[in-house]
Amino acid sequence: MQPTPAPLDQVDLADLDVFERGEAWGMFDTLRRDDPAHWTEEHDGGSGFWAVTRYDDIERIDKDPETFTSTKFTNLEEPPEEFQERRRSLLETDGPRHLAMRKLLMRDFSPAQLRRYEDFLRGLAALTVETALQQEEMDFVDAIAADYPIAVLARLLDTPDEMTSKLIGWGNEIIGFSDPEYARVLIGSEEAQQYRHLPFSSPVSQEIYEYGRTLAAERRDGDGEDLVSKLVNRVPEDGVPLTPEQFDNYFLLLIVAGNETTRQAISHSMKALIDNPDQLQWLRDNPDKTQVAVEEFLRYASPVYHFRRTATREVELHGKQIKAGDKVVMWFASGNRDEAKFEDPYALRLDRMPNDHMTFGKGPHTCMGSNLARFEMRILFETLLPRIADIEQTGELSRVRSNFVNGIKRFPVRIVSQ
Amino acid sequence: MAETRPTLREHEAELVVASVTAVAEGVRELRLADQSGAGLPPWTPGAHVDLVLGGLVRQYSLCGDPTDASSYTVAVLREQESRGGSAFVHDQLAEGSRVTVRGPRNHFPLVSARSYRFIAGGIGITPLLPMIAEAEASGAEWHLTYGGRTRGSMAYTDLLAGYGERVTFAPADEVGLLDLDAILGCPGSDTLVYCCGPEPLLAAVEALCERAWPPGALHLERFAAKAAEAPATGERAFELVLAGSGVTLQVPPDKSVFDVIQDAGISVLGSCHEGICGTCEQAVLEGEVDHRDSVLNESEQAANDAMMVCVSRCLSDRLVLDL
Repeated sequence: MQPTPAPLDQVDLADLDVFERGEAWGMFDTLRRDDPAHWTEEHDGGSGFWAVTRYDDIERIDKDPETFTSTKFTNLEEPPEEFQERRRSLLETDGPRHLAMRKLLMRDFSPAQLRRYEDFLRGLAALTVETALQQEEMDFVDAIAADYPIAVLARLLDTPDEMTSKLIGWGNEIIGFSDPEYARVLIGSEEAQQYRHLPFSSPVSQEIYEYGRTLAAERRDGDGEDLVSKLVNRVPEDGVPLTPEQFDNYFLLLIVAGNETTRQAISHSMKALIDNPDQLQWLRDNPDKTQVAVEEFLRYASPVYHFRRTATREVELHGKQIKAGDKVVMWFASGNRDEAKFEDPYALRLDRMPNDHMTFGKGPHTCMGSNLARFEMRILFETLLPRIADIEQTGELSRVRSNFVNGIKRFPVRIVSQ
Repeated sequence: MAETRPTLREHEAELVVASVTAVAEGVRELRLADQSGAGLPPWTPGAHVDLVLGGLVRQYSLCGDPTDASSYTVAVLREQESRGGSAFVHDQLAEGSRVTVRGPRNHFPLVSARSYRFIAGGIGITPLLPMIAEAEASGAEWHLTYGGRTRGSMAYTDLLAGYGERVTFAPADEVGLLDLDAILGCPGSDTLVYCCGPEPLLAAVEALCERAWPPGALHLERFAAKAAEAPATGERAFELVLAGSGVTLQVPPDKSVFDVIQDAGISVLGSCHEGICGTCEQAVLEGEVDHRDSVLNESEQAANDAMMVCVSRCLSDRLVLDL
């Protein structure tokens, strides 16, 4: 649905209320049209940032790590210098070390490797769907979207079943760092100051570290094929082993990134199908096109609103002088609605091709799990849609209070199965 | 806005030959200095760099001081059957020459241990030199056995003599071949073996360690020369066979394998088109892949059984994919 553009003087991408109400889209539209490099003050003590909203600009920034570095951290938060090494993962690393660290596990996420998990995924999707459909009324997030990706992650990490709810809770707390319902300690709060040495200034990071270390100790020098075993037993190709801190943060990244975003993408996709019954019908008639449809789901969902870079030198962008050290925020969600790139961007067109969305980012930091997310989504919808006779939304949708993740907390639906 | 370009490629710099020193018969040591003032990327013992030598690319171990960020040191033996690389170094490079250097990379890292046995054959001493310095500095137990044709052909003997009894020199014309049974007798559970040298030495050490040493104890480095090198200028064309589809196609220099497959109307998935995301991986049945992606690690690339068709090409004339 086409949003109403917000007046430029009311645009505020640092205001989390806007995102909780789902009203950022009209602001993105205004910025793309009127102020594509927009200075934004922050309300929590942050130093402010340049909001970049056009597709082409975002792509150029993401592909130019020399000018726009990730090493000064990639969320809006500015961790104190003394804690940066403790908190640094490959997200906040550039250059050859970044590549070497990515390559430790990158291939495990390639489609050719993931095909090994197809039977497992189909079985899991069927189990998830059949369990959910025992009732007509459900919260789609709880019943379907949340369990499925985390069960996949648990399989890849080879963690026991009883850890699953723990893994979901960890993901919620970390990604929901600015949502009081999810976070025990809100980012920016006084209490969070004592956790600034941890990722997302969250005490949960410490719990995740400790769990990762336990698994690492069990699996070191073993021949396990799971991701933890590979992470502890492989040496990056630059010959420099992961430091204990690098292992901690790599593990934390797998837990968080492999969990939350796919869930949001699935929830948004279902919502989009309910809102666009003709598209739902088209997909039911053309199940062999699910792979193409998933790309449109991903563009439409945009589960991650932004990632941040930091300018390393002075650059001019649309007449604005960006200084070295300035935070530059790439609003991927806005790029995915850029009318210069996508015809009728607010329309869900499941057969859209080409569909070069930026949901996974562009350039060297492109999401490592992109193919896993695609694979999970394809199999879930191939499993779910044939079982649905009718589906409707039965109550208000509630969103995560965050300008980082575009998350859905509750999504009540009624599904009549067939 | 500033010109932007992806910087996925590894570090590449033009360095200046600061000194050339004869360190043994047929062996020249080059010190390659950075003149940009930006400093060179750090490296660890066992690392090597690529030197681009008049259209050829050759790998040489770094044998200098890892804490020196202003220059790299390599030692190059003039190979009798040189395909041009070592001859170029000996005949064409002099003080003041400029050389393009890529890397460093390390496939032969020194893993921390209480005790080491180092075995060098000839010019294979080069990666071991900084390892030995590190082992010594860390207080580890170590011993080096250093073989060569003749004493005069062995580089850095003066330097190594300073380590006293920890080093055994074994020139073949004086003592015959290395007594590997003795050198590798009594395996230690906290001892690692590091070996670099000619292929027959590596094979013999490998066979012995397989029988008597714990798995993982042996670390060795092979400089297997590629059958052909990518030309420094321009891409080459090659034939592409899609075995599953029964089609033979031509890949011209200016098109990617991905584009050629897609243009032929054959379904192939791709996403980033930069070798980052891994979407376009295809199984390789035949042909020597010129890997240029950022997905496969060194051993996965060496396995030559898969490639990212968006950026990687082929070094041989024919590439066969299982597609």
